[in-house]
Amino acid sequence: MRKNAPDAIEIEIFKNLFISIAEEMGAVLGRTSLSPNIKERKDYSCAVFNRKGETLAQGSHIPVHLGAMPLSVQAALASLRFEDGDLVLLNDPYRGGTHLPDITAIAPVFIGGRPAFFAANRAHHSDVGGMSPGSMPLAREIFQEGLILPPIKLRSRGRMNEDLLRLILANVRTPEERKGDLLAQVAACEKGRVRILEAADKFGLARVERYAGLIQDYTETYLRRTLREIPPGSYAFSDVLDNDGISNEPVRISVRVKIGGGRAEVDFRGSSPQVAGGVNANLAVTTSAVMYVFRSLIEEDIPVNTGLLRPISIIAPPGLVVNARFPAATAAGNVETSQRIVDVLLGALAKAVPGRIPAASQGTMNNIALGGYDPVRRKDFAYYETIGGGMGASAEHPGLSGVHTHMTNSLNTPLEALESYLPLRIRGYSLRRGSGGRGANRGGDGIVREYEFVVPTRVTIMSERRSFAPYGLVGGSPGRKGRNILISKGRKTNLGSKCDLAVQAGDVIRIETPGGGGYGRK
Amino acid sequence: MKSGSLIRVGVDTGGTFTDFVIFREGRLSTKKIPSTPDDPSRAILQGLSEFLESGKPLLVIHGTTVATNALLERKGSRTALVTTKGYEDMLSIGRQTRRLLYSLKGEARIPLIRRTMCFGLAERTGPDGRVERAVSPADIRALARKLSALGVEAVAVSFINGYADGANEEAVARELEGRGMLVCASSRLLPEYREFERTSTTAVNAYLMPILNRYLGSLQAGIGPAALRIMQSNEGTISARKAKMEPIRTALSGPAGGVVGSLHLARSAGFPRFISFDMGGTSTDVSLVDRDIRRTSESAIGDFPIRLPVIDIHSVGAGGGSIAHLDAGGSLRVGPESAGAEPGPACYGRGELPTVTDADLVLGRIDPDFFLGGKMKIDPERSQAAVGRLASRIGKSTLETAQGIVDIANANMEKAIRVISLERGIDPREFTLLSFGGAGGMHAADLAAGLRMEAVLSPENAGVLSAFGLLLADSVKDFSRSVLKTTDRVNKADLERTFQEMEKRARKELTEDGFRLKEMLLERAVDLRYLGQSYEITLPFRPDGYQRLAGMFHRAHLKTYAYQNPQGAVEIVTLRLKARGLSEKIRLRKSPPRRGARLADAFRKDLPMVYRGQRLRGPVFDRALLEPGQGLTGPALVGDFGSTTFLPPGFSLRVDGYRNLIIRRGR
Repeated sequence: MRKNAPDAIEIEIFKNLFISIAEEMGAVLGRTSLSPNIKERKDYSCAVFNRKGETLAQGSHIPVHLGAMPLSVQAALASLRFEDGDLVLLNDPYRGGTHLPDITAIAPVFIGGRPAFFAANRAHHSDVGGMSPGSMPLAREIFQEGLILPPIKLRSRGRMNEDLLRLILANVRTPEERKGDLLAQVAACEKGRVRILEAADKFGLARVERYAGLIQDYTETYLRRTLREIPPGSYAFSDVLDNDGISNEPVRISVRVKIGGGRAEVDFRGSSPQVAGGVNANLAVTTSAVMYVFRSLIEEDIPVNTGLLRPISIIAPPGLVVNARFPAATAAGNVETSQRIVDVLLGALAKAVPGRIPAASQGTMNNIALGGYDPVRRKDFAYYETIGGGMGASAEHPGLSGVHTHMTNSLNTPLEALESYLPLRIRGYSLRRGSGGRGANRGGDGIVREYEFVVPTRVTIMSERRSFAPYGLVGGSPGRKGRNILISKGRKTNLGSKCDLAVQAGDVIRIETPGGGGYGRK
Repeated sequence: MKSGSLIRVGVDTGGTFTDFVIFREGRLSTKKIPSTPDDPSRAILQGLSEFLESGKPLLVIHGTTVATNALLERKGSRTALVTTKGYEDMLSIGRQTRRLLYSLKGEARIPLIRRTMCFGLAERTGPDGRVERAVSPADIRALARKLSALGVEAVAVSFINGYADGANEEAVARELEGRGMLVCASSRLLPEYREFERTSTTAVNAYLMPILNRYLGSLQAGIGPAALRIMQSNEGTISARKAKMEPIRTALSGPAGGVVGSLHLARSAGFPRFISFDMGGTSTDVSLVDRDIRRTSESAIGDFPIRLPVIDIHSVGAGGGSIAHLDAGGSLRVGPESAGAEPGPACYGRGELPTVTDADLVLGRIDPDFFLGGKMKIDPERSQAAVGRLASRIGKSTLETAQGIVDIANANMEKAIRVISLERGIDPREFTLLSFGGAGGMHAADLAAGLRMEAVLSPENAGVLSAFGLLLADSVKDFSRSVLKTTDRVNKADLERTFQEMEKRARKELTEDGFRLKEMLLERAVDLRYLGQSYEITLPFRPDGYQRLAGMFHRAHLKTYAYQNPQGAVEIVTLRLKARGLSEKIRLRKSPPRRGARLADAFRKDLPMVYRGQRLRGPVFDRALLEPGQGLTGPALVGDFGSTTFLPPGFSLRVDGYRNLIIRRGR
């Protein structure tokens, strides 16, 4: 046995240690935040990093934050010098962010006079300013999408930068809620910092750092083993987004996956150039989608960390819709384009290992953002949520109905919480029967959710799979496409996949989410 | 509830044995009868027969797993759900999440009540509690006919915003009850917001009603005039009549008895702050008692969220039978797969895979000749071989591997204890580890030391702790009223009046249950949060406390979450009243040391042991022959019928007056 070989016993102990730190941070964030999107829907992720900004473990929260989290810490490391007691915020997609509503908070953990680890979390804020309430606008450049935060210190050597906080709060529609959510993010970072210090105290810094490296090797070993189970070869697949919300042109995502020698090359060069509307993904989002797919192939309970990326090379030249250049708008890249990247990757892998890949899931998060003035509560409101749909069927199981799939797993807001917080009513929330694709295993059904507005409200919808259906596999039928419908004074209008509109009191918006694809011939 | 001639019996139904603890004429005794899983009441009636025949007044307090088992095995009744029209899929959609975040295979999901048994009615209540559309009597009658035709036994009724006003639910419930169906309305059981959790809780309750009605009905018929009370998951008992209406309250009652029993025993021994640690073959339960038992409203049984107050017990699927294996990434895992009772650990003679118990045996923490009091033969060589095979795969010695398995198991247990202590803002160093369960004693000393806890307490006769707890449990009723006002807006006189109204009702109900005023204990509490948060912190409330509420909350928030917002508005969410009807206390008696007893009398043999790489020899003692006042230093083993206690080097042990073992670091 080699002298420096990893110790199977210690790996297990440290692996669980890092995972539990990330989970404890998540518990604090969920329990102390103010906005429904964070406290009820748990739209956040927490993770622990080494001093280079590589992820050691991430709480089982939102997969779309996977690849993006380490890039945040690394962007902060590149642009400022950390001191003990600092807390850094950022949301700039071109400097470590994904889209503007996702604000990341990063705390360094100083041991022996240097930042030895980082604790960070990312939460989706339901408003960060910009041209429409909920900050998921149909914009043409990032400046319209909201307040841009490059890596910047909210707390410096233990002192809060009250001026920065005032600046942020002056730029958003719901300042009290933002303040509470930011404080909760700070508290979660603090929880992580204290736990890491405890661990270093108990086990010694050298040992913790050594195993911080080894658990990345551990995850890498798992992935390499999984990659070797896939027949070597080159597998291509292509699919489209309905449109970018500005023009009506489909936006192509193409991938060629080369497998061999325990490695994978993921080449997106056939994809569309970046577009005017906000479906542009930055490299962080694309990386997250790639990590998600390969992590899911492993099918075992292992920590997700930067080790997942070592056997994978991603080819995505700047200027493509999968690696947009500044100042492209990016609001929907994170939530919609990420889902299509997963669809094309799975489509390609289905050619290599058909029995292990499911049919396409709903392929969208059905984002709805809304806001306005509430005369009863006498204040502005801004709200954001996403809606589940059909899961694609697999060789083992029919698809689940009415759930979030792939890149997100955020909860629904209880409508009883929603109705007591906002001037609207939910008029129905049910499964969309028959929307799952037929097959030996059926795709899951989508959801129907109806919003009735009590006051004039501005509504933005960012959704997908309204023009092109989620594919079936191995002879299964596609899932049914989604629909967004406005019902105003008895008239029904199809809203298409993306829209920004002003509705009146009494209007109803009905969202019908897509079904999942079927698997196998019926 | 005091009577000199009354016989009180606590009855706990376990998987193998039904335990009885009897209090009669000031004396405690115990007995065990093999359980009868097909109809648990047979073993109970058999055990009770001698008291039933005595003709003396009898009170039976019962902890049952009938509800839990029916739920886990999905053997409940033919149940329907009635919702607001448009929300019939509520149980299928749940919170719109999947269970497995990273899986391409998908997962199976079967709701408790199938969609074909879910019915919507046109009706609506607003979030402010105003009935915007009353449910039509004609619709109710049509529904009732349909449900009768379907042969429905029980019905859950849960309407949108039903927590704010229950008038529409009541109208439906009354009609269906009039037709002989068992009905559970969400506004009666759990008037709290969040439609899915409330509906799920209501549906589970309805599903269990017919089962508990039949079971308790036949039990009651068997015991005739004797009084029957049922243990709830919240540390108190309820009448059998109430348990039939709200069976969900009994669903975690087994472990609840154990915690109540532990509390009494630990208090007597002078350790009112402790963490109970019950490590069995396949799972481990931990719970924290800080002079009082702590409760939570966020529990679940299987896939079903239960939003009623229950003792805060955290379970992990790891125990003595957990299997150790090397995973594909080169990490040694312990569990979650368990060897269970069949094939069991390798040393039982059938399984080939090494378990935690095998590692304990390799390290000399079990006396192979005295397993289960010598009644079961185990083979240490099979453990050696199983651990050895794993050792050669990870490139370590058999002893190092066994120590590693134990360390990982302990790390998993430590994580469970962190959840109920540090994650709730409580420092475990101020607590004693109260260890029971078949596998706990081998690990407790190391575990406590790792968390820097001051001592380990190991009670005698831990097997009947649950039944003992039943005997001691008070009658507990919970009352609550939503307030939803900030501390600066609330009218103090209104709050005081609300508390007094709840107290009046509590006294009335306890009087009906036969308690006298001086046997009643009413405890006020208040749920607070920063305005806008979704989760509350519950604080005890003193009548002079109105001025200090906000300050108390800021401090509690700081303690729990490491920050406070002194400018933030504090919202009073709920006023709570916990009403106890005190059961007659049983004083545990100290047993005097036997005259002339010598430690050598309890000595059985010397055994080789290994601790952190050191090879040692240590004595094995028979617990039954240890006497109060005697002390030992490690390394040593103390064995009794159900378990073994391992005393590592550097630790000492003392037997207290109640025959508990108290283990501390040092001499």
